[in-house]
Amino acid sequence: MIDFEEEIKKYEPAIEVEQAEEDIKARDLTDLTDLLVNISAQNAQNNVAK
Amino acid sequence: MQCFMCGTEVGDNKVCFNCGADILLYKQIIYTSYVFYNQGLEKARVKDISGAIEALKSSLQYYKYNTNARNLLGLCYYQVGDTVRAINEWVLSKNLQEDNNPFADRYLAEIESDPGLLNKLNSTIKKYNQAIEYCKNGSRDLATIQLKKVISQNPNLVKAHQLLGLLYIQEGKFADARKVLSAAAKIDANNTTTIRYIHEVKDRLKDQNTSRRRKKNDVVSFNDGNETIIMTEGSLRSMLDNTRTSLINIVLGIIVGLLICFFLILPTVKDNMKDGNTKTVLSLDETLEEARSENETLQEEIKALKGDLSAYDDKQDVATSYDNLLAAHNYSAAGDTKTACEYIQLVTKDVLGEEGKKAYDNLYTELSPAITQGYYDDGNSFYTEENYESAIINFKNVVDIDEDYNEGAALFLLGDCYRLTGEKEAAMDCFNKVVEKHPSNKWGRQAKVYLAADDTELSATEVGE
Repeated sequence: MIDFEEEIKKYEPAIEVEQAEEDIKARDLTDLTDLLVNISAQNAQNNVAK
Repeated sequence: MQCFMCGTEVGDNKVCFNCGADILLYKQIIYTSYVFYNQGLEKARVKDISGAIEALKSSLQYYKYNTNARNLLGLCYYQVGDTVRAINEWVLSKNLQEDNNPFADRYLAEIESDPGLLNKLNSTIKKYNQAIEYCKNGSRDLATIQLKKVISQNPNLVKAHQLLGLLYIQEGKFADARKVLSAAAKIDANNTTTIRYIHEVKDRLKDQNTSRRRKKNDVVSFNDGNETIIMTEGSLRSMLDNTRTSLINIVLGIIVGLLICFFLILPTVKDNMKDGNTKTVLSLDETLEEARSENETLQEEIKALKGDLSAYDDKQDVATSYDNLLAAHNYSAAGDTKTACEYIQLVTKDVLGEEGKKAYDNLYTELSPAITQGYYDDGNSFYTEENYESAIINFKNVVDIDEDYNEGAALFLLGDCYRLTGEKEAAMDCFNKVVEKHPSNKWGRQAKVYLAADDTELSATEVGE
């Protein structure tokens, strides 16, 4: 049995055109390769330090 | 292939010989990103847009430069009506890979080529957002209207379909909900929300159909004589309810009728009865008055008739009296004094004429001693027989003629008869007269005894001579 009130809460407003830019800026585009690069960079720095 | 850290050409090596970066891991990550992209592509081909979006998002989390995945993600968003997100993905795609990105170029070019498209999309999105607000505020009717407009402007906006379907479910319009949700399912075949709603609608419709079928099956049949009557249980109950209601109405009608009789008709009947009784009494009074007046009339008639009768009797008595007088005269002349006395006593002196009266007086004077003696003898006889009533009559006749008859014997015996019949006062009068007129003879002395004793109850023998 669907609870209407609970179901309604799941609906969020769609992004309007005016909010598109902000939405793009707010995006966290960090991916797994970025993490790998960071980890590798830290490893390289650690090796240089040693 | 170049090293992702230092840019050195590493070929097929697993590790960069220049900086020591883990090339294999990097390749695996990119490989995984493409795997997700392929999954997304497969799902998008079978219109599992939601699944495709999830796969493509995963793909981009592994490798954000997977431009195909991003462009496809934008396309998926566009497919489900989320145009702004689609544009954002394409813009990002273009920014991340400015060159050699024909899909993003094409999509963005198409949008830019239609200046009114963005405004239209934006208007649709605003209406959708407003519909959500209406729903949260409880204005479901307004929300439904807005969502219908949104769907007409942007038929691919799956979320609008879903929300409208939810509203229909809430209002019990399951058929409408199914229609809207089916349209949503055609756009995004494997959307979990849509599927959940469709299941809900199916369950509700199933319940409805079951209850309808149950209603249809609720058939009752019974025999009425030779006929078999078949009706639904609802109809039978309705009929029974109607019958019960009719009975209640009949009972109420009877009660109301009785009350009307009691309060309206009975008083009228009573009044009529009273009027009738009054009329009856009045008529009886009138009848009584009539009877009384008639009685008076009859009494007067009787009096008149009695007068006539007495006159007739007198007339008759005249002749009889003369006959009796003549008979008495004849018997006296013949020496039969006793019979003469009987006849002369039958004569009415008043009806006789002057001559008749003279003749009567003469004869009566002549016969008077014999008459008196006859009364006295009769009185004595009745006295001896203790017939004091008859004795009184005879002695009284004697006393009327001669109070001193036989030295007061008649008067004393009259008084004694009165004494013996309980007429004390009359007895005392007689005894006083006897004592007064004959104080020394035996009747006077006897009377004195009675008077002295003042006991009229004593008998003559008890007192003594």
